[in-house]
Amino acid sequence: MTTLEKLQILTDAAKYDVSCSSSGSERKAQKGGMGNAALPGICHSFTQDGRCISLLKILFTNQCIYDCAYCINRRSNDAVKRTAFTPEEVVDLVLQFYRRNYIEGLFLSSGIIRDVNYTMEQLIEVAKTLRERERFGGYIHIKGIPGSDPKLIERAGLYVDRMSINVELPTTRSLRLLAPDKKRIDMIEPMKLIREKKASYSADAGRFKHAPEFLPAGQTTQLIVGATDEADYSIIKLSEAFYGRMAMKRVYYSSYVPVGNFLAPIGAGGPMGMLREHRLYQADWLLRFYDFRADEILTPESPNLDMAIDPKTQWALRNRSFFPMEINRVSFKMLLRIPGIGNVTARRIMAARRFGPLDFDMLKKMGVVMKRAKYFILCKGKPYPGIVSFDAEHLRQRLIDAPKASQLSIFDLYSGGIQGGERNGLSL
Amino acid sequence: MDYLYDGTFEGALSGVYVMFYDRKPEEDQRLLEQQFYQADCLIPSKVVETDAVRAEKVARSIIKHFGVRGFRLVTTAYLAENKEYGTHLFRFLKHAYRIGEGAVDCLSDDAVLTLYKHYNSVTREVHRFLGFVRFSELENGVLYAQCEPTYNLLSLMVPHFTERLGNQTWVIHDTKRRMAAFFDQNTVEIKPLESVDGIRLSEWETSYRSLWQGYYDSAAIETRKSDKRQRQMMPKKYWKFLIENPQNQPNVYK
Repeated sequence: MTTLEKLQILTDAAKYDVSCSSSGSERKAQKGGMGNAALPGICHSFTQDGRCISLLKILFTNQCIYDCAYCINRRSNDAVKRTAFTPEEVVDLVLQFYRRNYIEGLFLSSGIIRDVNYTMEQLIEVAKTLRERERFGGYIHIKGIPGSDPKLIERAGLYVDRMSINVELPTTRSLRLLAPDKKRIDMIEPMKLIREKKASYSADAGRFKHAPEFLPAGQTTQLIVGATDEADYSIIKLSEAFYGRMAMKRVYYSSYVPVGNFLAPIGAGGPMGMLREHRLYQADWLLRFYDFRADEILTPESPNLDMAIDPKTQWALRNRSFFPMEINRVSFKMLLRIPGIGNVTARRIMAARRFGPLDFDMLKKMGVVMKRAKYFILCKGKPYPGIVSFDAEHLRQRLIDAPKASQLSIFDLYSGGIQGGERNGLSL
Repeated sequence: MDYLYDGTFEGALSGVYVMFYDRKPEEDQRLLEQQFYQADCLIPSKVVETDAVRAEKVARSIIKHFGVRGFRLVTTAYLAENKEYGTHLFRFLKHAYRIGEGAVDCLSDDAVLTLYKHYNSVTREVHRFLGFVRFSELENGVLYAQCEPTYNLLSLMVPHFTERLGNQTWVIHDTKRRMAAFFDQNTVEIKPLESVDGIRLSEWETSYRSLWQGYYDSAAIETRKSDKRQRQMMPKKYWKFLIENPQNQPNVYK
């Protein structure tokens, strides 16, 4: 089999993994070596589905001893061709693609061959060769194989920028049902280990000059949404726990695309699945950048996100007592709660406010999305021209996304499509 | 009064120097590029000589009052190559000295916001090009990249690639402006370069190109195709020198 054929098969097999981010690391180029990491991450291209290509995202092999129902590479799937790279083939592809500025680095995952430790060792071998022999300084993200020896996880962490152990499904029950070979505890334990190791290595870095760096870009995880029947509330609660207790950098959500051998729930992978994924990412953004708690976004009584309205606007409509807010007076934290105002705009408002009160025209020019914000704000004590009622029911009707917009064109927030650089690149 | 300068950054600073000394009402003063100037018999005009000493005085004053951030704002905005840059710069400085320290954050001021928008367009495109630039390996091992950015990005892209590809010899060629950055693993030089015909690729170049094309095509999820999203993230004007083929349309490499 030619390298091209292998590459096609092992790319096809890896593409359902959502993450492609190359952000979070500032690794410097090694002396005489090639490559460094750019903190905000860089997108090198966009596929026909509009997702960012930042890393060479491939499987080491798509052979697998497991039989997970949702996975295209499961043992019982006879429809796919099986193949495997050698470590040298991967190393050559990474270096040659990197020199030509096709990629930021490598994202290497794998099916399970022989046993978990052997598989993990193969991934480490690739990372080690790149770093030590080739003195490669570009971004490397590898999968932590659940259940592999903690020593291997720690060793890998010293070579790569980011590691991810996929939690796969929101609950233990679903995991038992769809991925009988995998155990929840085998995922959670290495996550904890990574969190502890990272903390102790960075404490060392404070004390010693040449302390080794451990996973500078931290850890992430991914779960499949829509293959099982969990409500959004339990998903958001899980993410909140990952961000808080595991110091996770990102949780990725993947709307289930039916490739499996079980009867997928109705609508899985369709436009509604995509919309749900999008709403989950919006809620996730609120947790990470807007200082929301999961219990503010959803409750056990109303456990699912409204598909017609974004979660921040949903919160604003449920909490009318905070509104309308006077733009020239409220704190940064409160500015962030206003629909139509994001992190960048809120920072701009805070900075510009020092020079005098702002009016609606100025806000518009500074990037506030008036379409939503106008129902929630006052400038110098006055409402936006033409706004007569701040009544919640009345507002809900006005704020519902137009049906077309809610289907296909609203993925701006979605899975690393925009990397940090572009998002935050606006500040001087 | 219309003041005319030679289009260089130093020229613009020299112009600003003269305009501040002339003390005419702000609305009546414009600073324009001489080569594009269309004389209007109702408006008097005056050519400003580019003067390194005066330009430096203005530059130092900008740094003193508004810090390195302020200076970065005016230099980066210059690279947007906007025809009105001179006038925008003058108005920005008029307002900024009035506002005082921290004026670069006063985005509620029109003159500040205008320059800031140019700054933003340039930095955004720089970030995009750090990803979209594609090198090809030539017969002699040199990496060569051609690009035609909307703004004059070459000087802003260089530091990224000297750090990243520090052990490589490369050329980034802006064929729209006929300028190129040459890097010999040690120093960078930016100088004029006409378009290069018939570059000779290394023996391996075509096979790595087809590997990349194969990778690119395999990475898309068929059931989630969205041309619109793709074009939002990567507008068509950037496709010309990509090795991959975003919509199976011919580019210069096919």
